[in-house]
Amino acid sequence: MMLHRISDALFPVAVHGRLLWVYIAAALIVGVLGLAGLMSVPPRYRKLVVAGITFLGGLYFSLEFLLPHQPIHVGAGTLPGSAGVAHFAEGLTNAKPSVADWAMIIGSFALLLGTSNLFAIHGKAVKKRTPGWYNSLAFFISFFAIMIVGFLKDSPIHGLNYHAAHTIQSASTSLYMILFNGFVQNLDATMFSLIAFYIVSAAYRAFRVRSAEAGLMMGTAGIIMLGLVPVGAWLTSWLPHTGPLASLRLESITYWLLIWPNMAVQRAIEFGLAIGWVAMSLRIWLSLERGSFFDRQL
Amino acid sequence: MNLLIKLQNIDRRILYVLVAIVLSVPVIMRPSKHPDFVFPEVQHAYDTIDSVKPGQIVLLSTSWGAGTKAENEPQTQALMRHMFAKHIKFAVMSWDPAGSEITFQSGEQVQKDVHATYGKDWVHLGYKTGAANAIISGLAENFPRVMKQDRKGTPLSELPAVSYVKNYKQIGVVVDITSVGLMSYWISYLTTPKHIPLIYCPTAVMSASAYPYLDSGQLKGMLNGVMGAVQYETLIGRGNVATDASATSWALSAAHIYIILLILLGNLGYLAAKRAGIHTGGSRLG
Repeated sequence: MMLHRISDALFPVAVHGRLLWVYIAAALIVGVLGLAGLMSVPPRYRKLVVAGITFLGGLYFSLEFLLPHQPIHVGAGTLPGSAGVAHFAEGLTNAKPSVADWAMIIGSFALLLGTSNLFAIHGKAVKKRTPGWYNSLAFFISFFAIMIVGFLKDSPIHGLNYHAAHTIQSASTSLYMILFNGFVQNLDATMFSLIAFYIVSAAYRAFRVRSAEAGLMMGTAGIIMLGLVPVGAWLTSWLPHTGPLASLRLESITYWLLIWPNMAVQRAIEFGLAIGWVAMSLRIWLSLERGSFFDRQL
Repeated sequence: MNLLIKLQNIDRRILYVLVAIVLSVPVIMRPSKHPDFVFPEVQHAYDTIDSVKPGQIVLLSTSWGAGTKAENEPQTQALMRHMFAKHIKFAVMSWDPAGSEITFQSGEQVQKDVHATYGKDWVHLGYKTGAANAIISGLAENFPRVMKQDRKGTPLSELPAVSYVKNYKQIGVVVDITSVGLMSYWISYLTTPKHIPLIYCPTAVMSASAYPYLDSGQLKGMLNGVMGAVQYETLIGRGNVATDASATSWALSAAHIYIILLILLGNLGYLAAKRAGIHTGGSRLG
């Protein structure tokens, strides 16, 4: 509860005007101080700091989920100490919105990290004129073009008369639509749709009935592929919708395959995965996992 | 015999050109015919949305972008049309930066068609980044504290569609429209612990793994890719309207038949080669 109140004071729902800049400046100062503090810790202790924060993060969610949120009743009274535990658990639950704030802030840092990496790599390529450097230049042009028109489109423009501000905003909106709807969306969709061509080619070349199992798989795949699309229903549309023959309609066979054999297999896979997740989560939580930053000195 | 053997090694460029033709024709012709069957999970999704009580919103969690727009946008728009028609308020949130813009445009498009009003009938909460488990469990306890403002920067308190939403009690249904799979987060941190119905709208390739959750009741309904969307359109009375979903469903039909024919041809060639004692095997992929 205390954490919740402190967080409410530090991070109000909305801040406007000059106070917003105060908050930004304060956040920057705190961030720089925190980073400097972490960097001043000797490397071997830095791992401990990271492991400690990881452990506390995992502990928070575990306790919040596992601790009872109501006092435990035994007979006419309550179990000694259970009221305190329930109060503590309630405090952890109340802190969840603050934890969500922190999660979003940390997530935003990842965006910054990604952008700075792109700048470093492509900046070096342009500076050294490495082969294909013009592609890196295209990155910078695209990045700044969409960023600038994006900001101009949505932000109020001060210091200009209404007509000029309106002209700039409508021009940037049009340009933004060309860049986003015309380029970004179509390029993204094009990249993704290439998969269709590869899937067709791969299915044609790789799908050979070399055994009974392969035949079974091919038959099932064929039924599912047809049963899920309108043409499948059309192929067996001469069969009645009700009665025993209805179960022979292609969409009925498809649905049976999905909710019986498929579900059994999926459940088994999910169960196996879940056990793996528990083991993996424990290893990460307790910093036992090797790899990434724990293998090298920070 | 030679011709049959050659069937297993058709030039990939021919395959590619045919794929483009097979997919393009239905998209250009835009047939309006919708399938006359509706899977139970789609019907359950429809019924679940229909049963949202006044004073509750539907939270549309979207994690898709342009790559899967062909599948996820018809799902999103069909659900939006249903909610606008029933005067059910909804909020859209996006876990994808480009998807945030695309879903907003999708909403604006439907809003224009049905003469709805932004802010009064629906809102878009913008792009959210960070650990999904923390954000989801946070918004369950204090919705305005975590969401704060819509994507235009307007505080939620000034938007009638969501101004009364304080916590999970005002969330009637969560819909996860996704190409990456956030279903497990919603189930673990919000919908199962708080007993809120969850509807799952994945791309078709992801849907097979959702059936155990439908069986357990942790998912109340599902729109299986674009076929789920087209079935949902039938339910909302758009069964004879030429839509993107209906065109895509016929493109999908044509593509599936094309793939099945190719596999049959390839196997015919394989059997012919085997009978002739020729070393069999496909050519390189690509």
